[in-house]
Amino acid sequence: MKKNKYRARKEEKSNSPFENKKKFCPFSKPGSPKIDYKDTRLLSRYITEKGKIVPSRITGVSRKKQKELAKAIKRARFLSLMSYTGKIHLS
Amino acid sequence: MNKFEVVLILSPDLATTSLNTEINNFKTKLTDQNAKVVNEEDWGLRDLSYSINKFKKAFYRYLQVEASGQIVKQISKELNQSENLIRYIFIKVSEHQELPTKLVYEKK
Repeated sequence: MKKNKYRARKEEKSNSPFENKKKFCPFSKPGSPKIDYKDTRLLSRYITEKGKIVPSRITGVSRKKQKELAKAIKRARFLSLMSYTGKIHLS
Repeated sequence: MNKFEVVLILSPDLATTSLNTEINNFKTKLTDQNAKVVNEEDWGLRDLSYSINKFKKAFYRYLQVEASGQIVKQISKELNQSENLIRYIFIKVSEHQELPTKLVYEKK
């Protein structure tokens, strides 16, 4: 019974005009990049224009990886590799 | 023994010779206490994202170290005293990365 209910809901979704593509975590797949405080180019994708860390509900990063990501960003900020207040990418 | 990554940020006013002595001092401090320096990388003079102690640029050095936690505690106490060192960080890692690091790789 439960399964049928689930399937029905799924179909409903697939028919809806608002396409609900499932977000997946960009760090959880086997070949995905490793989170590192030294990789500022990667980290800069996950901060806003004002330098805030983008919440995982927008980026789709898993809870475990979001924790790592936040830590890496904070480390990069401390080492002045990234700005606290803006999105400046230093090459 | 644990594995650590160390990043040292040194004042840009230093001459190259005093810069090297500063880093060698740091290394000897480690090796005196049975710690090992596995690898080293020079990130050179980099622009800071924000000014620290009114400096806009600084020398970066990156080291991969094997040491015990107590040594790290001791050394970081000593590092707090030194004037030429603007900032430093010890990061415990499970495995050492392969060099070169992404930061240097992108520069080229």
